[in-house]
Amino acid sequence: MSENKIVTLAENEPLNLDGGGSLSKFKTAYTTYGKLNDKKNNSILVCHALTGDQYVASDHPITKKHGWWSMVVGPDKPIDTNKFFVICPNVIGGCMGSTGPKEINPENGKEFATDFPVITIADMVRAQKLLIDYLGIEKIFCVTGGSMGGMLVLEWLSKFPEMVHSAVPIATATNHSAQNIALNELARQSIMADPNWQSGNYYHSDKKPMKGLSVARMAAHISYLSKEALQSKFGRNLQDKNSLDYSFDADFQIESYLRHQGFTFVDRFDANSYLYITRAMDYFDVSSANNGSLIEAFKKTQSKILCVSFTSDWLYPTSENKKIVKVFNSLGLNVSFIEIETENGHDSFLLDEPKFFEAIKGFINSTFENL
Amino acid sequence: MSLINENKDFGVIAELIPNNASVIDVGCNDGSLLEYLREYKNIDGRGMEIDQKKVQLCLAKGISVIEGDADTDLYDYPDKLFDYSILTYTLQATKSPKTVMQQLVRISKKAIISFPNFGHWKIGASLLLNRKMPVSKKLSYSWHETPNLHFCTINDFIDLCEELEIKIEKKGDLSNKKLSNFSGKNFLDSYFNEVGLFLVSKD
Repeated sequence: MSENKIVTLAENEPLNLDGGGSLSKFKTAYTTYGKLNDKKNNSILVCHALTGDQYVASDHPITKKHGWWSMVVGPDKPIDTNKFFVICPNVIGGCMGSTGPKEINPENGKEFATDFPVITIADMVRAQKLLIDYLGIEKIFCVTGGSMGGMLVLEWLSKFPEMVHSAVPIATATNHSAQNIALNELARQSIMADPNWQSGNYYHSDKKPMKGLSVARMAAHISYLSKEALQSKFGRNLQDKNSLDYSFDADFQIESYLRHQGFTFVDRFDANSYLYITRAMDYFDVSSANNGSLIEAFKKTQSKILCVSFTSDWLYPTSENKKIVKVFNSLGLNVSFIEIETENGHDSFLLDEPKFFEAIKGFINSTFENL
Repeated sequence: MSLINENKDFGVIAELIPNNASVIDVGCNDGSLLEYLREYKNIDGRGMEIDQKKVQLCLAKGISVIEGDADTDLYDYPDKLFDYSILTYTLQATKSPKTVMQQLVRISKKAIISFPNFGHWKIGASLLLNRKMPVSKKLSYSWHETPNLHFCTINDFIDLCEELEIKIEKKGDLSNKKLSNFSGKNFLDSYFNEVGLFLVSKD
């Protein structure tokens, strides 16, 4: 179990952002597990996905549920906290304590709301680097994460290659496809179409954009699952009834399930954060700082890498992950690749997938033994 | 120490590879050849393996391995990325041995290829006398369950190399743990070597 910690970073020098502008004295909320050894060579940085947070292996303060990767991180787990010092920060732009739209802007004492600058994945990584510096770590043993977390991993490999000994990007891509952007745009439009969004200034209002955020989550949730998984889990089963109602109530189990996903999400997530973070994902292109060349983007990388994809993931499909592998191969890097067979879709990296766990454990432990 | 005296095919292969070479083992199994070469030749090794259980074994040993298929995934490597590529006992199980061979000599400066010799006298005898597909230690599958798609003889392999303008530099005799320079087709090899092993290259 780990206590949430909050540190103020960029106290002397502001963090310059890709979109112009800067953040000074910003907060990063993070958790740590295990102990940093004397050589300071056993740290693992875990990067969370779009709606994840720093509660990787401890109970969530709002939902009271187990951490989002508690099957992977912990004592005797694939990422063994008896052995490794695990760090998981909430990204900037997030809503669990790191500086983001719902936090107070020190310049005027009011919530940032939409005055918060548009940030990028690279900005998030620069912010994480300040945390790693603050923790006194010169070289991270392993950086890992799935989905957006995988984008952060790729950005780490490109921006701070000398600080990363090994990396495990999972179910991710070097940039967002038109389909990915389209799905995020659908989510943003549903938030902004909610009259309670009030141009983002809802923090002191009784009315919050819960409907819009909830629909955004429902749409996204469909993209995290595969057609097969939805079909085998729900099919056309009816929810607590024997016949159709001929109404717009939730007749089908899948409708009821999605509504539940939407409703529970709004308790723990901020609508403005959703806008900012999805924007950062859409803008992400790890080659963009290198004239569009992925080879250039990773040419200083020396890390040992394991890429993982899942067969039924259509949001960040195997083909996108193999593109990353191809670039690393071209550079002659020590790269491994494994495709896990599952019907659980993109969400697989958060679920009980024993073969996935075995691969992570095998890679991380053997890499540590050969350190 | 001469590795060729080791009681393993690995020793013969290791003898062909200089210290510190970069090597890809296509169809690397559980990674034991790469481990062997890492230990004795300090190679910088990579593996490719189609069977995920074996991929997991490689990962746990710290071997960099791509879960992939020799028929489709060799295209992902740039020209002459590796000093050596190795394809042991896999050629006959590929869909297109011809393109796999072309890819091997493209991605590496030299390729080491071994395969069961279908021209071995015992195989000929089995067909001739029993009228049955041969099953032996080296060819352990029955005809209806074999993953092997394209059997060839040592002479067939030599002909294909000629057609593809691939140069054969050396040949190996695994039963006698012997390597020698290649000087054309040879009656004894084609009859008595159960396994063909060749070092080939193409500029």
